[in-house]
Amino acid sequence: MSRPVNLADFLPPYLAEVEELLGLAHTQLLTLETAARGGAPQPRAVRELFRVLHTIKGLSAMVDVEPVVALTHLMEASVRAADRAGGKLPPASIEPLLQGLKAVEVRVRALGAGKPVPPAPSALLDALEGLEGAERRAAPRAAAPAEVQFDLEPALASKLSASEREQLTQGVQGGRRALRVDFAPSPQRSAAGLTINTVRERVSQVAEIVKVVPLSRPGGAPGSGLVFALLVLSSGPDAALAAAVEVAPAEVRLVAQPPPPPEEDAALASGALAGDLSADPSSDLAGVLPEAPLDEEVAPQRHGIVRVETARLDEAMERLAALVVTRSRLQRAAAALTASGANTRELVQILQENARQLRDLRAAIVRVRMVKVGEVLERLPLIVRGLRRSTGKQVALQLELGAAELDKAVGDRLFPAIVHLVRNAVDHALEPPEERRRAGKPEEGLLRIVCRERSNSQLEVQVSDDGRGVDAAAVARRAGVPVPQSDEELLELLCRPGLSTREEVTTTSGRGMGMDIVKRIAVDQLGGELRLQTEAGVGTTFTLRVPLTISIVDAFVFESGQQRYAVPVATVEELVEVDAARLVRGPGGAEARGEVQILERRGQAVPLLRLATVLGQPAGEGGGQKALVVRQRGEPVAFAVDRMLGQQEIVIRPLEDVLVKVRGVSGATDLGDGRPTLVLDLIALGGGAAAEAQRRERVS
Amino acid sequence: MSVLHVVFRVGTAEYVLPAADVVQMESFSGATPVPGSPAYVAGLVQVRGRVLPVIDARARFGLPPAERNLDTRVVVGQVAAPGGGLRTVGLIVDAAREVVKLDPEQLRPPPPLVAEQARGFVKAVAQVGGVGQGSAGAGGSGRLLLLIDLNKVVGEEQVHAE
Repeated sequence: MSRPVNLADFLPPYLAEVEELLGLAHTQLLTLETAARGGAPQPRAVRELFRVLHTIKGLSAMVDVEPVVALTHLMEASVRAADRAGGKLPPASIEPLLQGLKAVEVRVRALGAGKPVPPAPSALLDALEGLEGAERRAAPRAAAPAEVQFDLEPALASKLSASEREQLTQGVQGGRRALRVDFAPSPQRSAAGLTINTVRERVSQVAEIVKVVPLSRPGGAPGSGLVFALLVLSSGPDAALAAAVEVAPAEVRLVAQPPPPPEEDAALASGALAGDLSADPSSDLAGVLPEAPLDEEVAPQRHGIVRVETARLDEAMERLAALVVTRSRLQRAAAALTASGANTRELVQILQENARQLRDLRAAIVRVRMVKVGEVLERLPLIVRGLRRSTGKQVALQLELGAAELDKAVGDRLFPAIVHLVRNAVDHALEPPEERRRAGKPEEGLLRIVCRERSNSQLEVQVSDDGRGVDAAAVARRAGVPVPQSDEELLELLCRPGLSTREEVTTTSGRGMGMDIVKRIAVDQLGGELRLQTEAGVGTTFTLRVPLTISIVDAFVFESGQQRYAVPVATVEELVEVDAARLVRGPGGAEARGEVQILERRGQAVPLLRLATVLGQPAGEGGGQKALVVRQRGEPVAFAVDRMLGQQEIVIRPLEDVLVKVRGVSGATDLGDGRPTLVLDLIALGGGAAAEAQRRERVS
Repeated sequence: MSVLHVVFRVGTAEYVLPAADVVQMESFSGATPVPGSPAYVAGLVQVRGRVLPVIDARARFGLPPAERNLDTRVVVGQVAAPGGGLRTVGLIVDAAREVVKLDPEQLRPPPPLVAEQARGFVKAVAQVGGVGQGSAGAGGSGRLLLLIDLNKVVGEEQVHAE
């Protein structure tokens, strides 16, 4: 089917709008599902869901996506029936509506990707169509189904859509009367404040407006040939409606006969009523954008919001990165001038002001890229709902997300990691209801997700469950290794890539599925941290700590082995002075590689490694006066460096080539001298070196 | 149809690469070593805002280290990446001063001895400036140019930490 070329301009905003509307629809449906279990009516949520579906239908008709129009048409019909039933959506209808949303989403994605849009599945259409009947039967005031005969002139009937006809039918079957009243605007009436708009408002107070149709009436009221025919559903007296339009009550006409008693069926068949009209195919065309009576509440307009493509934000960040590098060069040039004896006081002041401006600009751009963690995780309830159905377990999801914000790039990476943890918790950790009952626990398991800002640059996410805990012995058996003695060792074991590919023993508890993915995301990609706490029979808590943003970071710059390095400040727990007199030599002795000393720090022994040695470089002269303390698997490790050079903002460039992609180096940066400076991952370095030290101690 | 080639010197031998595979030539002012990378990787250099790994051609060809001087150059080339796409890598050479045009007929498979010693890095040899090539010198001997297989020189070694 060829599409007019100008529709291409509508496609991007259509896709963005529909994606947002689908999110709203999911939210409303989950609200309705919770309410349906409690039996409480939710008229507001039903109305909002109808409005959303209706809008999707209208937008899709504009860009001519027929399958989406068909799906949303049936979905909105069933939601309207729920509104008739007093805002109560039957629980059985939730699942088909969710599948309908899924089908809409799939087709919208196909459209956005330039692929053929698959037709709406007939089985799903049948299920959705069946919903409407079920909801009608669920309506408390539902009458016996009978066809309603309409008494409408052709000009009016031809403008009535199938959904509007359906609306009138259901209203009449529900015991209301379908009425028509005409309003003829005139200068005199306008002067008296009576226009079609004010009439609309007044009529909506006493009846439900189904349709307002402008008709031309030759030889009608003097001075005007235009008349508005209002079709309404009313349960009040005709006088009230007539007063709203300021006409005589006699001008209010009944347009639909109430359903006849069953014994009169034969008489009805023999005497067809005048004006009986079947559905006109052309009316369906007009129905794609019908007026929605449920839409009386105008959606709150969002002021001052502009959607920005992430690519543009990335470009702005890249330009800012270049400015930061330029400022480093300027500082270097100013230092050279100062060393040559020139008077640079004013220049230094300007550079300091420029540094403040760049910092403010950077903060502003970073803030633009920030999204609330609640937005990142808003789909979790839907995922948990799916897991409930697939596992048959009862799960309560508790979210304490706070107001923390993080970079969209971090959020996009973080969400899959959290989804993995949630899946594992529901699949493996939480027991079935009977097992929980035997253990003296509530039948419904608790899954709790807590987000906290750990510092001004780090976010901590905890995923906790009150399930059976991780069975360390079972995991060890599956991996063919000795039983780990601590949660840290257990986590290392769970995160082995090979573990997730093994088949699970059916009687084995514990988990391994996908944990290497979580670690790869949190630690490798985001430079964060992953921790585990578990207790048999009580539950398990995973803690992820990730940086809020990953583009530009503050870093310590130092010398080690005659080379300069940078380390992000966020990864360093403390910077300590090393008192050589108080160092204790470890069991490694004088061996050049892996030389370990012990540093006393607030009563705790901390292994001290010379960074130059760990990096395989000759040690500098008189080095080791300062050490950087990082935390690796919960334990501190200190790295002695030759000389601290200061702290500055750096732009991290990832190292992608296989030749230089090594553990312990997370990227390179330009400190302003045009040479790459390595950005180190001390936590990864600490892992290797500390593990080697422990192995050495075990051997000796 | 003659093809433009970049000529560079490593030790006493002269090598060529198709100019189409050479992104740019840069002077060399030191590389940042990357601990844990292969021995023939000199480290990282920054070329017009991009951070590139550079390979020490002398180390790669098994020659002893030499002092860097003003003639030292980085030949920035592109090769196929293991997972698809292109990699941009630098090659540190002793000198690179000229370009030549080579006809396909001038390129011949390398003699067995050269191929064996070069570990597959040389995929063809070319003789230029021989008798009858219009050289001003009387009967001067020609130059032997070795065509480099940059993919093999760069290598696909994955570093296995620990």
